[in-house]
Amino acid sequence: MRSPRRLLNSILFLLLFIVIGLPFVPLILSSVSFGWQWPNVLPDSFSFRAWEYVLADSSGTWSAVGTSLLVAFIVTAVNLLLAVPAANALVRNSFRGKWLMEAIIFAPIVIPPFVAVMGIHLTFLRLGLTETILGVVLAHISPTLPYMVRAIMISYNTLSVDWENQARMLGAGPISRFVHVVLPHLLPGIAAGASLSILISLSQYLITFIIGSGQVVTLPILLFPFISGGDPAIASAFSLLYAGIAVLTLLGMDLALKKYYQNKKAATAKG
Amino acid sequence: MSDLRIINIEKQYPQTKQQKDPAFSLQPVALTIKEGEFFSLLGPSGCGKTTLLKLIAGLIPADNGEIWVGDDHLTAVAPEARRFAMVFQQSLLFPHMTVEDNVAFGLKMQKISKRERLADAQSMLEHVGLGGYGSRFPDELSGGQQQRVALARALVAKPRLLLMDEPFSALDPSLREEMRELLRSVQKEFHVTVLFVTHDREEAFYLSDRIGVMSEGRLLQIGKPKEIYEQPVNVEVASFLGLKNIIRGTVANNHFISNDQSFEFPIQSSIQTSQSVLIIRPETIRPVSENMVEILGCVYFKGVIHHKIFSHGYYSVKVRIGEHLLICNFTSQEAEKMNPEQPIDLMINSEDMRFVNG
Repeated sequence: MRSPRRLLNSILFLLLFIVIGLPFVPLILSSVSFGWQWPNVLPDSFSFRAWEYVLADSSGTWSAVGTSLLVAFIVTAVNLLLAVPAANALVRNSFRGKWLMEAIIFAPIVIPPFVAVMGIHLTFLRLGLTETILGVVLAHISPTLPYMVRAIMISYNTLSVDWENQARMLGAGPISRFVHVVLPHLLPGIAAGASLSILISLSQYLITFIIGSGQVVTLPILLFPFISGGDPAIASAFSLLYAGIAVLTLLGMDLALKKYYQNKKAATAKG
Repeated sequence: MSDLRIINIEKQYPQTKQQKDPAFSLQPVALTIKEGEFFSLLGPSGCGKTTLLKLIAGLIPADNGEIWVGDDHLTAVAPEARRFAMVFQQSLLFPHMTVEDNVAFGLKMQKISKRERLADAQSMLEHVGLGGYGSRFPDELSGGQQQRVALARALVAKPRLLLMDEPFSALDPSLREEMRELLRSVQKEFHVTVLFVTHDREEAFYLSDRIGVMSEGRLLQIGKPKEIYEQPVNVEVASFLGLKNIIRGTVANNHFISNDQSFEFPIQSSIQTSQSVLIIRPETIRPVSENMVEILGCVYFKGVIHHKIFSHGYYSVKVRIGEHLLICNFTSQEAEKMNPEQPIDLMINSEDMRFVNG
């Protein structure tokens, strides 16, 4: 009974490794190679030239990482402020034209963001929002918001109005109800939505490029020229850095959430 | 004096296209509940009792009418500011808080210091028999315990009115009786005014000082349990209270004649011709033994035993009289020698017969 299960587990693990882990091997090799040409299986010689370039101050990597994270976190915070009331309204109420509202909110998932951004670009030019972080943040909201709303809607679906009514009958006003009853229930949905929002914002190239006009430099903006024909070693190093930042951010969020729950348990266990 | 006064409160639900049945409406209800009274709203599911409860709580806005407690006009006051408490069918304990924090929640909302509110919560938990459970989480408790916590949580802030919406209906019968006992003693101890909604007759009769019987959005009768049981105002109330001996007939010349003419006897002149339905409580019917002297003011019938069933310490015997099957409750002694198809003589004190409008 046990051994087939173990076998299945190891097969699945292997599959996972091939799909996710394996592509990183040539990436790592490429990032430390010096002239790696066909038909060689392994690079001729190794050098840390690419990493030296990427990690040096002069390349602007760290400011790009900072900009990427700044944009991603502001976008996520704004999304949160927009998505919670939106999800509340969409789940709790039925009103005329509700399907249209949902269609508009979820449209960016289906329609390529590029289409919308061309229009937005013109407006932003007139408003003077291009080449600014604010403009990029605003442009990033359209492809990220649907995921946030979706995740929080699912949380709202499982929250019966009775809970809020119960809190009301115990004397809780609107703010107390939200903080003590609604928010704890939404938290898993918020965490899921925020992770998606951060990841999607971090990976935007085209929107950032068009709205930022090359002045708002995020990691993908730095990375792209090297991929499309520059230096594959440097592109590999950037890719690895980029993946590392994304994974670290998600891990950080996960840890913060776990810490929150632990503190909650610890606080109540003590008192 | 802080009686709860409900003045002609009313609610109409608009008919929606999807629903074929007519729109539900709660007819104007006028009701005064005294301070410290235990008042039950009794009625079948869907009769509007929960709607009325939520209107009083303020959770749904009323179309018309007013709610007062003593001299406070509460109609326009938000539910959270009414100083009412409510226990729902589900315990609705906040899952991310301990039992203690759950109970103290109402006090926290009143900005009472942490030490004070936890002390209050502790003592309230002891009152409901959950002394050592304060630091547990709700999911570690059984259904009955959860409902005890919900009761403690509702009582801890000393509400002016405790609203209860079928709080024990999700529990199994033995637990329900235990909770009934607990609620009764706690209510007497804290002298809290309770408005209790239930469809369980036994529960309502056991707990209540007064009962309001509801049906289809109307409050049919209000009275002490004994009153509404012995003197139901109409057939609807009687049949909801489980009184199955309902005999339709006509009243004329101080005589009652049932439609199938198997019952015919003189009645008091105070009974109007419109009161043409006779309701007989099963325990008021007695068998006549051979050497019994005829008693003045009693009505006698002849019938045939249809069958007998043993039930909680007495026999429920069905006796066929004309087209009617009369249900009688006899003691085991009385019913011992009764067999199906036997003829039987029955007597009822005419004061125990209730005539209502047909």
